[in-house]
Amino acid sequence: MKQRLWQIFGPVLCAVLLVAGLLLAPLPLGRLSHGALRSAAVSMSPNVLAGERAKQQALALDYVPFFGSSELSRLDPFHPSALAAKYHRNYRPFLVGAAGTQSLTHFLSDQSMLTQLAHKKAVFIVSMQWFTKRGQNPQAFTFFYSPLQTITWLLQARNTVADRYAARRLLTMPACRDQQIKSALLTVAGGQPLSHLSRQLLTARLQMLRNEDGLFSRFAVTPNERRLARAEKLLPATATPAQLEALATAVGRANTRTNTLGIDDQFYRARLAGGRLAKLKGSQRHYDYRFGPEYSDFQLLLTQFARHDIDVQFVIPPINAKWAAYTGLSMPKYRQAVTKLRTQLRTQGFTRVLDLSEDGDQPYFMQDTIHIGWRGWLRMDRTVAPFLAGPRQPVHYRLDDRYFTKSWRQATVGG
Amino acid sequence: MPNLQPYADPQYFLILLVALVPLMVGLYHGHRLRLWETVVSLAFIVLMFTGHKWGEGLALLAYVAWQFLLVLGYARYRRAHNGTATFVAAVCASIAPLAVVKVTPAVAGHPSLLGFLGISYLTFKSVQVLMELRDGALKQVSAVDFGRFLLFLPTLSSGPIDRYRRFVADIAGAPAQADYVAMLGRAVHYLFLGFLYKFILGYAFGTLMLPKVAQAALVHAGPLGLSWGLVGYMYVYSMYLFFDFAGYSLFAVAISLVMGVDTPMNFKRPFAAGNIKEFWNRWHMTLSFWFRDFVFMRTTFFIMKHKLIRNRVRVSQVAYLINFLVMGFWHGVTWYYIVYGLFHAVAIIINDYWLRFKKKHRQQLPHNRWTQALAIFITFNVVCFSFLIFSGFLDKLWFCPPHR
Repeated sequence: MKQRLWQIFGPVLCAVLLVAGLLLAPLPLGRLSHGALRSAAVSMSPNVLAGERAKQQALALDYVPFFGSSELSRLDPFHPSALAAKYHRNYRPFLVGAAGTQSLTHFLSDQSMLTQLAHKKAVFIVSMQWFTKRGQNPQAFTFFYSPLQTITWLLQARNTVADRYAARRLLTMPACRDQQIKSALLTVAGGQPLSHLSRQLLTARLQMLRNEDGLFSRFAVTPNERRLARAEKLLPATATPAQLEALATAVGRANTRTNTLGIDDQFYRARLAGGRLAKLKGSQRHYDYRFGPEYSDFQLLLTQFARHDIDVQFVIPPINAKWAAYTGLSMPKYRQAVTKLRTQLRTQGFTRVLDLSEDGDQPYFMQDTIHIGWRGWLRMDRTVAPFLAGPRQPVHYRLDDRYFTKSWRQATVGG
Repeated sequence: MPNLQPYADPQYFLILLVALVPLMVGLYHGHRLRLWETVVSLAFIVLMFTGHKWGEGLALLAYVAWQFLLVLGYARYRRAHNGTATFVAAVCASIAPLAVVKVTPAVAGHPSLLGFLGISYLTFKSVQVLMELRDGALKQVSAVDFGRFLLFLPTLSSGPIDRYRRFVADIAGAPAQADYVAMLGRAVHYLFLGFLYKFILGYAFGTLMLPKVAQAALVHAGPLGLSWGLVGYMYVYSMYLFFDFAGYSLFAVAISLVMGVDTPMNFKRPFAAGNIKEFWNRWHMTLSFWFRDFVFMRTTFFIMKHKLIRNRVRVSQVAYLINFLVMGFWHGVTWYYIVYGLFHAVAIIINDYWLRFKKKHRQQLPHNRWTQALAIFITFNVVCFSFLIFSGFLDKLWFCPPHR
């Protein structure tokens, strides 16, 4: 009878041991190939953003993170990734962001690369469209949510205003419903240290998630990579800034023939043509980017950058002026929002801010409604390329916790 | 307080099986540790209803008290009397909470406060005991055994639906050692087959593929919502439904076996059925047998006894219609569940005509492995189409299409 029991449970025992070994052992997963890193750098997919292996290995090389959101996917010939590859710059952009990523998603997906990024440089494109009354869209947060990054953060969270705020914010997201993570978040939000047992369990879970990330994240050639390769071909082997400007104007003109708003033809056909545009007239009359949780969520990012001594070039892209006028967006309110954000940056010593918010009326600057393209990318490149080419300068950040307060989130700044 | 939903993730199995180890050791040595079994069962039932589900937990308590009152009361009454009105009243009272739970969303637009996970399956068990008491097949019901039957942990949330007399015979003692070891062998086999079904195949069909075909069907909807995407949805959903529920049922049977109870199986290769009648002998078997015994047969006897219809063929047709309509309403008071029930009733009636025709013309009709394959193919597609109705996707496609 004993033998029969072994016959039944022996294989189960072996299976359990194998699975536990596979998930819990610190597996030597080796390095990703350069090709795989190149794919990951432009894929903007959730497995790259939520994972850690690709990001960590890329940052150890000459990749520089370009944080942003939907504008990163405007892969025309003047996109930072195309320019860097074609003209053999000393850096390669690693695109971190996609439609739906906002400060809170960035805050989490940063976690596993902060150590690599310490004392280095980064570029951050911050969209005013993030700063809605509601802030981070919970569904998008769920889409990009990463337990791996959350646990990485939890294990080094301290009893600070920033960490308590972050824990409280994460608790409002439906994605953080997992018992283990939720109770750890509650502990941090309450300003208490995690118990020894809880740390141990989180560490084991982290190892499991790391192995999953390493074993199951595959970085195949994406359509993005093919689009970029096609875009690069349109660029001349060498070009002066003036020649590039002329080319961007020509490409922009060739791609905006079907409408008077200066919107890319493909985008127009897919999203606005066939009577849909008329419905959007005046649709943004009540949009207001001046208040909301995003200002404090953004402060979490500033806190991270300061703590890890990262020199960040911020870029505030504009809104297509014709589009803004058509949809009735209030420019005075928009300007106040930009001023508020710039105040938050300036007062804390974040001085590298390229504010393009007034350039929405320049021809071929925007690729569509709110996304920078062609000449806009070139304008950004004029600031970003020298910043990344030059030696690293010391930074002097002075963090101010009042940006985590409700009174700041609701404050009106500027006339 | 943590919350544990039955069979939701691998941790659940680990925790449950560790908790059951003393019971297993006992059964192996020929003893059933009743107290331990009760404590573990109650603990896991409480953990199903913690947190925001506490309301459901209260509903369960009230429900169980109500069913105890009815079943034990009726058993006592039945010792000396056998009034039809009392019996009908008892059955109606037993079904009443389930009826309220099913009708409330259709009428009030929100779920009923009386609802909890598993209410249907508890009602099937309770009604079955009432019916068997009425028939005299069951002479007495002990409160303890009825409680163990009603709240048997492995099958609490979604079946399979066991029978009282069979169950009580199992829990009266412990199986012989060799039998129990054989049961454990089956349990391990079912458990791992269930993992394959629910967590791999069910996940692949339901989580990976279903949203994609749903999107394709919504975007490319032609006249009447028809599209290749919709055809894809029909098959993918059918596969998902089978692997998800068959996987769950395998878990329930496996855990029952570990606890020394031979709960009946729910599926027997349903897509290999050669006609719709055979399909119902292979698909969600404990439910369809319950309906056969307590709805179909009773309706048939009632019609024949009262000579409502003389033609025997008509009798079974009417009984099929009633049987599947009740099943449709049980799934939920929405047009697509009811149409699903009617569809199967019509399918089975047509199938009966065909079988009679085949019997008459046995000489002329070929019968070989190709005709059998054709029969399986037709049955499979009819069933998949019925699952497309069942899925409610047509409701979304036709009556509330998303904003494009």
